Amino acid sequence: MKLQIRYTVVQFVIILVSLTGINAQEKAQNYGNIPNELVAYDKYMKAYKYHFIEPIEFYGAGREKKAPTDLKEVRIGFLGPLEGSILMNLGNQMLQGSILAIEEANARGGYKGIPYKLMVHNDFGLWGAAANEIVKMDDEKVWAWLGTIDDINSHVAIRATLKMEIPNVNTGDPDPTFTETNIPWVVRTIPDDRQSSYALVNRIFVKDGHKRVAMIRANNRYGRVGTLHFNRTATRLGFPVVIEERFSDGETDFTAQLERVKKSNPDAIAMWGNAKESALILKQIRAMGLKQPVYASDRVVSKDFLNIAGSLAEGVVTTCQYNPEADDPKLKKFKANYIKRFDMEPDVFAAHAYDGMNLIIQSVQRAGLNRALIRDVLTDMKISNGYKGVTGELVYDGTWNNIRPIFMAEVNNGKFEFYPAPKWEKEDIIYKKPAPRSTGEGYR
Amino acid sequence: MKKIIKSQYFKITLLAVVILGAVSMGFILKDKYHDNTRHGAVRTSSDAFDRPEIPGLPAPDDLTKDVPVFGNWKNFTTKDGLPSDKCFCVRIDGDKVYVGTHDGLAVYENGKWRTYTTKDGLSHNGVVSVDVNEITGDVWIGTLGGLTKWSGGKFEVFNQFNSGMPNDLVYMVICDGRDVWCATGGGAGHYDTFTKEWEIFTEANAPMHEPWTYGVSAGDGKVFIAAWGGGVIEYNTKTKKFRDYTDPDGFMEIDLQPDDGVVHDITTATSWADGILWVSTYFGMSRYDGKYWKGYFDHDSGLASNFINFLRAEGPVAYVCSDNGLSSTNGTNWVTYKKNDNDANGVAIVTTGGVKKEIPLSPSIAHNFIIGVDAEDDVLWVATSKGVSRGEKIKY
Repeated sequence: MKLQIRYTVVQFVIILVSLTGINAQEKAQNYGNIPNELVAYDKYMKAYKYHFIEPIEFYGAGREKKAPTDLKEVRIGFLGPLEGSILMNLGNQMLQGSILAIEEANARGGYKGIPYKLMVHNDFGLWGAAANEIVKMDDEKVWAWLGTIDDINSHVAIRATLKMEIPNVNTGDPDPTFTETNIPWVVRTIPDDRQSSYALVNRIFVKDGHKRVAMIRANNRYGRVGTLHFNRTATRLGFPVVIEERFSDGETDFTAQLERVKKSNPDAIAMWGNAKESALILKQIRAMGLKQPVYASDRVVSKDFLNIAGSLAEGVVTTCQYNPEADDPKLKKFKANYIKRFDMEPDVFAAHAYDGMNLIIQSVQRAGLNRALIRDVLTDMKISNGYKGVTGELVYDGTWNNIRPIFMAEVNNGKFEFYPAPKWEKEDIIYKKPAPRSTGEGYR
Repeated sequence: MKKIIKSQYFKITLLAVVILGAVSMGFILKDKYHDNTRHGAVRTSSDAFDRPEIPGLPAPDDLTKDVPVFGNWKNFTTKDGLPSDKCFCVRIDGDKVYVGTHDGLAVYENGKWRTYTTKDGLSHNGVVSVDVNEITGDVWIGTLGGLTKWSGGKFEVFNQFNSGMPNDLVYMVICDGRDVWCATGGGAGHYDTFTKEWEIFTEANAPMHEPWTYGVSAGDGKVFIAAWGGGVIEYNTKTKKFRDYTDPDGFMEIDLQPDDGVVHDITTATSWADGILWVSTYFGMSRYDGKYWKGYFDHDSGLASNFINFLRAEGPVAYVCSDNGLSSTNGTNWVTYKKNDNDANGVAIVTTGGVKKEIPLSPSIAHNFIIGVDAEDDVLWVATSKGVSRGEKIKY
């Protein structure tokens, strides 16, 4: 009798656990990994229309076009800041990652024996010029292209790519609005600033318990759009940024901004800008005697930042789109080959470009020489989604934006240490709910 | 094992698990099929949104603002003389029809096509937009690589190097009296054909975040720029003042209220006719009468698709070029044209007062991916990604 009761209990538990598993898999996920608590206006009303739930289709013609038979090279476009831009160090890393992928593909026999050729275009940084480069790529008859980093130029370029219907893989622009343009010819493999913002806000306010954060950011689109979700999220938690100061690219003296930051009496300082300016700001923060913890956007994950900031970089916390120190044979092999080929360590832009270019090559190999079919493979939720590269897995949302989990990066003993960004757990949220109204109503 | 299975306790357990499972699946299904607000694409009709009636819309039976139906379609492709099947735009000019294609400008006259390319003087073979100056008869051609004026049989090229053009990628060009306006990849440009001077409008001197302009239209002393990511920029040519119209909710991933302003900030075209501003986006369409906005989506109207490449209004009717069919509307009634996937035929879906009627078309439009349109009198021309189509007004 007792034995049978035990059997019964065991059977019950086993089947119940398996049912729980089914439930877990069925859990719905918001667009862009938006935590439930941060869905726009959700505490007050439901929106009439929610976009980006499902990827849109491409209904245009083109899939029926036959591949040319007389090609001597299979051209893939590249657009990146290589000359005349403050981002050219990042752009050159992106180019080198792309070159390595192309060279490896050609060593494997190219496309049916035809070598791939990279058609390199400089992203001048002048507004509108990127669009003209995409027109040149169309004239060159590239099958797809990779780029760029600057969010303004990326936006300009994808409008052109939509018009000319050339598949684009972006591996360097973290602007959340980039894929929110709803263009069915564009995918992005690098996690965006929305994910960085959630991770940083979670760390600063929830884990570290800060309440008064001062933001100093680049006075450009990268700074403006990058901090958009940070500021919104902090505000939704009940901790609006106490002051937002701005600086220009190339600026070296931040005294005026930091004096105002000091007066705002913050208990932590966040920076959103490129590595060089962020390092200089950090030095001047400490020179002014400000001892608050400093947090930064992911552009500081670079040797430039560590070299300029020196020992003052200790304890700085930021995010990283992947774990460059992961114990992954694929990543290790890539790093070794990259160092051998270019005599330098790959950075985040090189690694993501390598993955992005391999994604393009995989799509061309699978689809053949037809832009619409290459697009179909790039955006296929069963083929490209889940692609495993040296930076990790590709997890598309409804806009073909990579929302895989990102990493925190913290300077310790002169180098960045990486660990998974903690998940946004509902019970951890310090959500300032209003006191119940006289009718006894709270939210909802 | 058989003994266990046959036991009473096993049966009780199985029953309990089945009940628990059913309850559990009930929750899952409820979540999956009934919570289609945040996790689903749209609200269902049973989950009604408090959407008040918009005053001023035409009555369903208002024949003065009727939406015509076009049929007797004739389609043209490279087999008929077009330089490319990918047609970006179409413009009717009396007996002539200009079609901008990926590989040149095609002109239809007296039943024949003639192609013009860079060899003839075009700034680029990719012709994206065409307009005709009503005063001079000059043809202005916006291309992927500059602006071309075709006048007196000669082509004159305008680009960033020889003129005050904002950018060489011209998405849209229009003529408004003596003025030529273009929307480019680097801002909006205004060219005064009398003084031959250029003005550029970007974020530096207009209420735009960035100078990403995609469309432009004009009427009644105003110019309406579709600023990609910046909504609509209205420019008053007399007062030289701007005002902007953006989606008030401020979020890219939602439209909080459909009738509170333009439905999305990523606008693709504007068109002004009969005192109504029509605005297209990749997320739906908006109509503005100067006082009330109204938003239209494919789930709540006759709109073929929310992804709209272009629109043009003629009189009370807007012709809407979507990625999955051509729609036309006066704001109340709709006619949407769709080609069958497997043959040349299709239908015109007429929606009047909420009642749908399908009219068979044989043949139908050339393709459902519509990029350009123009209407004049009883004729409609449609540019698609697989040829250009000409339809005639029919009775139904």
